Amino acid sequence: MSDKVFGSPLRKKIIFSVLTIIFASFIFQLLKMQIIEQKSYEKRSINNSIKRKVINSPRGIFFDRNFSVLISNKPSYTVEITPAIYDTSKQKIIENILHEEPNYITKLLHKKRIYSKHLPRVIKRNVPLNEVVWFEEHEEEIPGVKISVEMQRDYSFGINGSHLFGYLREINAKQLRARKDIYNMGDFIGIKGIERIYEESLRGKNGYQYILVDSRRKTIGRYLEGENDKKPIKGNDLLLTIDYATQKVAEKKFAKHRGSLIAIEPSTGEILAFVSAPQFNLEDFASVTSRKAIVALSNDENKPLFNRASKSIYPPGSTYKMIAALAALEEGIITKDYSVNCKWGYQYGNRFFRCTHKHNWTNLISSIEESCNTYYYQLILEIGLDRWAKYGRMFGFGKKTNFDLENESPGIVPDTEYYNRVYGKNKWSKGTLLSLGIGQGELSVTTLQMAQYISLLANFGKTKTPHIVKAYLEGNQNKAITLTFDDVTVDIKKKNFDIIREGMYKVVNGKEGTADNIKLANIAIAGKTGTSQNPHGKDHALFIGFAPFDNPKIAIVVLVENVGFGSTYAAPIARDVIKTYLEQFDENNFTAFNN
Amino acid sequence: MKATNKINDRFDFAVFVPAILLLIIGLVAIYSSTVNHPTASGDFKKQVVTSIIALIIFGVAYSLPNRMYKSFVIPGFIISLFFLIVVLFFGKTVYGAKSWLSIGPIGFQPSEFGKIGLIFFLSYLLTSKRRNPNNVKDFSIILAYSMLPVLLVILEPDVGTAIVYIFIITIMLFWSGIDLFFVFVAVAPIAVLFSSFFGFAAFILLMIIVVALLFYFKKNIFVNMSIIIFNMATVYLFDFGFKFLKPHQQKRIETFINPMSDPLGAGYNIIQTQVAIGSGGIWGKGFLQGNQTQLRFIPKQWTDFIYCVIGEEFGFIGSTIVIILFMILLYRLLKIASQVNDRFGSLVVLGIFAFIATHFVINIGMNLGIAPVIGIPLPFLSYGGSSLFVNMFLLGVVLNYYKNRREHV
Repeated sequence: MSDKVFGSPLRKKIIFSVLTIIFASFIFQLLKMQIIEQKSYEKRSINNSIKRKVINSPRGIFFDRNFSVLISNKPSYTVEITPAIYDTSKQKIIENILHEEPNYITKLLHKKRIYSKHLPRVIKRNVPLNEVVWFEEHEEEIPGVKISVEMQRDYSFGINGSHLFGYLREINAKQLRARKDIYNMGDFIGIKGIERIYEESLRGKNGYQYILVDSRRKTIGRYLEGENDKKPIKGNDLLLTIDYATQKVAEKKFAKHRGSLIAIEPSTGEILAFVSAPQFNLEDFASVTSRKAIVALSNDENKPLFNRASKSIYPPGSTYKMIAALAALEEGIITKDYSVNCKWGYQYGNRFFRCTHKHNWTNLISSIEESCNTYYYQLILEIGLDRWAKYGRMFGFGKKTNFDLENESPGIVPDTEYYNRVYGKNKWSKGTLLSLGIGQGELSVTTLQMAQYISLLANFGKTKTPHIVKAYLEGNQNKAITLTFDDVTVDIKKKNFDIIREGMYKVVNGKEGTADNIKLANIAIAGKTGTSQNPHGKDHALFIGFAPFDNPKIAIVVLVENVGFGSTYAAPIARDVIKTYLEQFDENNFTAFNN
Repeated sequence: MKATNKINDRFDFAVFVPAILLLIIGLVAIYSSTVNHPTASGDFKKQVVTSIIALIIFGVAYSLPNRMYKSFVIPGFIISLFFLIVVLFFGKTVYGAKSWLSIGPIGFQPSEFGKIGLIFFLSYLLTSKRRNPNNVKDFSIILAYSMLPVLLVILEPDVGTAIVYIFIITIMLFWSGIDLFFVFVAVAPIAVLFSSFFGFAAFILLMIIVVALLFYFKKNIFVNMSIIIFNMATVYLFDFGFKFLKPHQQKRIETFINPMSDPLGAGYNIIQTQVAIGSGGIWGKGFLQGNQTQLRFIPKQWTDFIYCVIGEEFGFIGSTIVIILFMILLYRLLKIASQVNDRFGSLVVLGIFAFIATHFVINIGMNLGIAPVIGIPLPFLSYGGSSLFVNMFLLGVVLNYYKNRREHV
């Protein structure tokens, strides 16, 4: 070839051309990066160095009706791991320090693998200070592991209220997907009770801080002097209708019983105490490892997770007799002097319906005072099934009360249509009616409905929907916003209420009263005992009542499961709770009664 | 008028001025990337001192009688080989390579000075005794000598520098009149392999070019088919050879092909560098205003990644100015290489051209994300003494030959 010479012009040209192509491609690449794609690079550059730090809003806390704290928040230490920079070689030591079994971290990280690996995952909450110190001392050797301070529920105020307050759980992936704009991974969300129902109000709004970080994620300073930052908005504190002392006594009385209790202010429907027993410890739900606790609780045969106060249904027994009495009076079937001769019971067809005693001639008032069954066997036959059922429904039975914590059963008030549906037309005898007269049989109620019922009896047919939350205190302004609840009224003449209430007064204060064991010298209690038959063993003991008789400030329902007589087991609990509530006014200022 | 002509005749400002401007731009970028740095804030002052010394070295190299260079060829080559061997035993490991040698308070990289030894020695080999690179025996001797420093550098192991050596050798051989077909056979597989990293389409395009060039060379069908098959096979041979690389080298190649495969590890530098340059826009974010630079997203940015400081803070304008200055400088060096009458001198200048061009292309290509990450400095701009001393010395040599370009030795 002619070109095989030193430094030939062709070779110079080749070098020149190659170089020119390279120069051109560099300029072209610069054009592409810095002019055409500049926006996307700029965005990445800003994302790189400006981090949005979420500042969690403190969750609203719970006050009782007198602003005593029921549940608050406390700071706690949380260990977090960011998988992208986490060094697994130190995992065994970390698990040892945290007192967790081997592979605890692996399992947790696996569970949360669907999130971006640059996001920190909560590994353990509520880490004690001596363990935290280790993490801080070894910070340099454990990349990707950090300690953060979080606010956690503080349950140390002496009230348990497990079914009332409910609990919080770390938000799961599914919930998070639906509410991405509001929650972040690791946030808590209310699962049960007030925490769930009032979640939106309690939660507040997370704030943001924009900070400048360097390549090692070290904070350099605030971005634009915090111009774009957003302060967190504190969650609303809730002012509950609960009375601290009353709730505390009620819980204590149920420490060894199964059952439920609701104390309520008759004129307002405000619930003063709310217990479903057995309770569970809310503290168990505060940590990430709550799964075990939940499984244990759901397998417990006493069903502690079940809210007995609003969800469990049972026949109300004799406490329901006032419905029949009022129906008969209001419909003009009887007067208060109508009497029945009780000879241990009542023969209906070929079946004998028993009474507890031989009451002999009994009028309406003493039928309540002494709880004569014979009287009501006859009375319900006079009233008829559907008229009786109508009065039950007037008092809110057979349907939900619209209680603000929801999660309630409607119960059953049987009528002709119900029996036709269940047994078929004409396939049921009138005899079934007789059991209903004494509050047994298919009739099923909840403690919550009973609370509404006793309120209506105490307050002459006027109350409000039973509720737990009185008001909320606007997060950043501390302005109280009172919630309003619907009126519940029963259109029955006052003179008829007076007759019934006299009977109820005598239950506690009369010579023959079934609950004369709870009579108090300073407080006039009226009430009614009941014994609810059930297929699960001994009868449930029931008591409903209110006090003071002339100006009722508290009404109460007590159900103790499988123990026997209402007067023996339920009534004394009611008395102690009533006493606790009313004596507070004595000590402080009696004028509180009248405002 | 005559006086100016006379100065222009003895001193080429088209080489000197771009180099000095690049040096100054480099100092500005070093200042910006180190002024707020906790450990490197003193590096700017050091580099100013280095630059002054480098200018003196340049002056000396320019003023020496140019015959002296030829007499230093063999001892120079032996000394550079000596230090390349010494560093293997007594060197300090920096970024995985045993490349740093300290003598008392002075530290330097023998592989940088080795480039001087190589350029001069290869020029000597190719021009003395009328060796013919197209003669198989002569070619083998030349190749054997010139591969010695390459092997020593690979042992460090500093693959980046070895690649630079190979480029210098190839371009110098090319200049010395080696058969173009031979160059084609040697270069084509590398180009095909490189193109395959950019996807199937690029690979096909390169293969079309290879076939087109085969038509140009008009060889017989057997040779043509062998070359086509060999070129296609390189891609598979590469996959095979890939397994023998060290993990960090494998990672570098992987992340070059797809930086996002490991965004916080090996791909981190590439991504952050590109973000820095891309986010600079037309005018840049301004001196000391680049958040990528100021918040230190690119480790050791003032050395191999100095170009992205300019890209971020001075934008498209600043980045283009740097490229244009290199363009002027390199075109000029090429021109001088063909102007110098003395063959030895011409080859030395061409070797210096090859050296600066290789550094420039690999470094800028890496910064722009179109070449793999090979840790070599950008001439005149990157922080570092050894590299700047060598660059300015070689520039002095170039201007020395320019001054004496009409001489025959």
